[in-house]
Amino acid sequence: MKIKENTGYKVFLVVNTIIMILISAATLYPFLYLVSQSFSSEKAIISGHVGLIPKEFNIKTYVYVLTKGDFLKFYKNTVIYAFVGTILSLTFSSMLGYALSKTEIKLMKYLTPFVIFTMYFGGGLIPNYVLVVRLGLKNTIAAFILPMMISTYYVLLMKSFFAGTPKDLEEAGELDGLDKFGVFIRIVLPLSKPIIATMTLFYAVMYWNNWYQAFLYLRKEKWPVAYYLQTIIRGQGANDQDAQSVATNIKSCAMVLTVLPIICVYPFIQKYYVQGMMLGGVKE
Amino acid sequence: MKKKSIMSLSLAAAMLLGMTGCSSSETTAGSTTTIPNQIETTTAPSETEEGDKGLGYEFGLGTTFHSDEPVTYTMFFSDASWYAKQDTWESEGVFKKIEELTNVHLDIISYDSNDYMSNVTLEINAGNAAYIIPKIYDDSAFVDGGAIVPASDYVQYMPNFVDFYNKYNMADDIKTITRSNGKYYKFPGMLEAQALNYCFVIRQDIFKAAGVDVETLEKDWTWETLLETLKTVKAYMVSQGMCSETDYIWSDLWCGGESGQGSGGNLLKVMGITYDVNAGWAIADGMRYDQAKDEWYFSPITDEYKEFLKMANAFVEAGILDPETFTQDDTQATNKFYNGETVIMSMNQSQFGPCMQNCDEMLGAGKYELFLAIPPRSDKFNYSTAGNVRLENGVMVSQKALDDLGPDGFIKLCRFVDWLFYSPEAYTLIKWGIEGETFEYTADGGKQLKEGMYCGGLGYSMPEGADGVDIRLKWGYAGGNFWYGHTIAEMSDNYIPQIKRMVSSNSENRETPPLAPGIAPTEEQNEQITLIATPLIDEVNAWTLNFVIGQKKIDEQWDEYVAVCKDKNCEGLVSLYNEIYKG
Repeated sequence: MKIKENTGYKVFLVVNTIIMILISAATLYPFLYLVSQSFSSEKAIISGHVGLIPKEFNIKTYVYVLTKGDFLKFYKNTVIYAFVGTILSLTFSSMLGYALSKTEIKLMKYLTPFVIFTMYFGGGLIPNYVLVVRLGLKNTIAAFILPMMISTYYVLLMKSFFAGTPKDLEEAGELDGLDKFGVFIRIVLPLSKPIIATMTLFYAVMYWNNWYQAFLYLRKEKWPVAYYLQTIIRGQGANDQDAQSVATNIKSCAMVLTVLPIICVYPFIQKYYVQGMMLGGVKE
Repeated sequence: MKKKSIMSLSLAAAMLLGMTGCSSSETTAGSTTTIPNQIETTTAPSETEEGDKGLGYEFGLGTTFHSDEPVTYTMFFSDASWYAKQDTWESEGVFKKIEELTNVHLDIISYDSNDYMSNVTLEINAGNAAYIIPKIYDDSAFVDGGAIVPASDYVQYMPNFVDFYNKYNMADDIKTITRSNGKYYKFPGMLEAQALNYCFVIRQDIFKAAGVDVETLEKDWTWETLLETLKTVKAYMVSQGMCSETDYIWSDLWCGGESGQGSGGNLLKVMGITYDVNAGWAIADGMRYDQAKDEWYFSPITDEYKEFLKMANAFVEAGILDPETFTQDDTQATNKFYNGETVIMSMNQSQFGPCMQNCDEMLGAGKYELFLAIPPRSDKFNYSTAGNVRLENGVMVSQKALDDLGPDGFIKLCRFVDWLFYSPEAYTLIKWGIEGETFEYTADGGKQLKEGMYCGGLGYSMPEGADGVDIRLKWGYAGGNFWYGHTIAEMSDNYIPQIKRMVSSNSENRETPPLAPGIAPTEEQNEQITLIATPLIDEVNAWTLNFVIGQKKIDEQWDEYVAVCKDKNCEGLVSLYNEIYKG
C-alpha cells in the first residue's frame, strides 16, 4: 500500500512540476521578450526577428530613455510617492488596526462595521473628486496619497494580527507606567515586525503601480512613472488623424525600468507575501 | 388633519408643476431649427458708439485680437504622448507667441490625449470646467447639464466665424449638430470642403512590375477592379518567389484591436460609404437618410449592405485580405507593410511621412516606390469617402466663464476664441509658427519651413542625426488642439506632392455624397435611441465581421441576420427617427 502511495505521489510530483514549469514559462516569456525588445533595434522589432534573444543588441534605447524626456522626473515622483505614502499608510493603518483590535472597548464593536462598510461601498467618483478638489488637494502629492492611504483590507489583516498579541505583555507595560500609545509603540509594534514588513511591501507595491489617482488629480509634471508608462503604451487614439505611436523599443525599455525595482525586491521578500496573508487570517 | 391636507395639496401642486415641465420639454421635439443661412455680425448688447471705443480690446475681421489689459483664460489641452507638451511651449513657443500677440495668457490644464475626454467630462461634471474646451468631437454628454454655453447664442459677435460661415454656406452643415432647442453647443471646426484623409498606400514598384498602372486605374476603379488588380499582383509575387499562395498581401490597420472598436474600423467605414451604407467606424446607429423618399431607414439590412458584405468577403475568400485585419493591433499591420510582406494598406495622409521613414529604414531608401491611391467606388455610387459634413471637432465654452467674466467679458472671450480658432492669422501661427523664424513664404506664395527647421506633423520629419529643430516637439506648433477646419488652400499648404495629387484626384473623380438633414432629438428621445441602438449595433457589428471573414455565409444566413435586427427593434428605431424628423 505504501509503495503504491509513493508511486502516486511521485507521479503527482512529476505532473505538478511539469505544470508549474509550463506556468512559469508562460509567465516569464512575456517579460523576457520585453527585455529582449528593449535591447534590440527598432528595425529588428518591426521585422519580427526578435525572440528571447535581442537582435542588433544595443543600449541606445536605455540611454535615450534615461537621458532624454521626462522619464527620470516621473521615476523620481514615483519613488517619493511610494516612500511617503508607505510611511503614512503604515502609520495610520497600524494605529487604526490596533485600536480596532481592542474589542474590549465597547465603541470598537460599533466602529468596526463602519470601517468594513467602506470596503463594499464607495462615495462615487464625482463626490470623491469634488471632495479632493474642494480640499485644495488637486495637483498635490496629498491627492495621490490621501485617497488610498488606508486600505481597509490591510487594516483588517493588521487588526487580526494585533489581536493575537499577548495581553499580559501589554498589561505589564502599563504596570511599568506606559500609556496606551506607549504600549503600542514600545511593545506591540516591536512584536509585530512580520505584519509590518508584509504591509510595507503591500503598500509600497500599491503606490508604485498606482496611476489612477494621477489620472484624476495630477498634472503632468507630477505624474508617477506608472501613468507615464500607460500613456506611451496606449500611445495613440485610433481616430486621431494626427496619431503616431511611440517606438516599440522605447515602450519596452520604459516598462522594464518601471518594474525593475519591484522585480529586484521580490525574490527577497516574497515569503512575506504568503506569510502576510496567513498572519492576519489565522487567529489562535 | 389640516396639516396633512395642506401637505397633500402642496405635493399635488408640485407634481402638476413637474408634469407641466415634462410636457413642455416634450413639445420641443422635432421643433424646427433656427439656423440662419447667413449670419449678420452684431455688436454686443452693451456696445454703443461710445462704448465701442472703450471696449478695452481690439478685434475684427483681419484684425489681431488684442486686449488692452493682460487677461488670463483657462483652457483644457489634449496632450499627445508622441509629441508631449514641453515647458518651452509656454516659455518661448506657441503659447508665448499667442500671449505676445493678444495679451491673453492661456492657463493650460493639460491631460493626456488618451484620457482627455474622461478628464474633461469629470472636470465639467464636478463644476471645474476651464473657460475654453477644445478638441470636442461629441458634445452630447454636456448639453443638458447646463455647464456649457450654447455657442449659437454668441456666434454673431464673432467676425471670423461669421465670415467663414457665410462665405462657404455652412448653414446645412451646422444643422447637423443643432439640438432640439435650435441651438448648437460647440464652435465647430468648419471646412471649405472635405479633403480626403484616409486613402490607400500602395507599393507602386511591385504593382508596376506586375503590369498594373494604378494611377490610371484609380480614377474609376471599383472594388471588383481592386480585387482583380490585387489577384494579378499576388500572382506576380508568387511567380517571383516574393510570397506563397497562402500568404495574404493585404493586412489592414485601424480595423482590429483597440482601433477597430469591434466594428471593422476604417476599412469597413470606407467601403460602406461607397455602398451608401453605415459600417465600421461610421456605423453610429445605422440610420441613413433616403433623399427620394424623404425619410430615414436602417441601412445595415438593405440590399446595398448585403452587396457591401459580399464584396468585403470576396477579398478574404480570394486569399487577398488577411482575416487578422479585424483582430490584430495596428503595429502588427504596419510592420507587415514596412517589411514588404503586404503591398497595400490604409493610410491617413498625415502619417505618410512616418510611413516613408519606416519604409526607408526597412526596405532601403530608393528601393521601393509608394503611391497614395483614392479608395475605389462601387457599381452604383461614385461617392468620395471623405464624407459629406464639412465640420470638424470643435470648441466649447463653459458656463463658468460666463459666470466669472460676466456678459461683456464673456463676449470678449468669444472674440478671442474667434481669432484663435477661425482667423487665418492664428491658423498660420498655430500651424507654421513665426514667419522668418520657423517658416518662410516661397515665390509662388506657398509656405516652407526654414532651413534647419523640421516638423513631423507637417510631413517634414527630422532625419536621424540631423542638426535642427522640430518645431512641433520644441515649440508646440502644428499641434492638434487648434489646427482643424479652414479653407482647402490653408489645409493643403503643407501637403507634399503625393498627397496633393491624391486629394485633387479625389475631388476630380469622386462626388460628395448628399448631406442628410439634421435631426434634433430631445433628451428623452436621445435616450430611447441609445437604448435601442446599443444592443442592435453590437449585433450588427458581430454579424458583419462574421460575414466578412466568412464564418457566416451571406447567402444562407442573411435572412436570419435581418430577423435578428428586427428582433432588436431596428424598425422601432426607424419609426422614432422619422417621428423626430417629421415632428
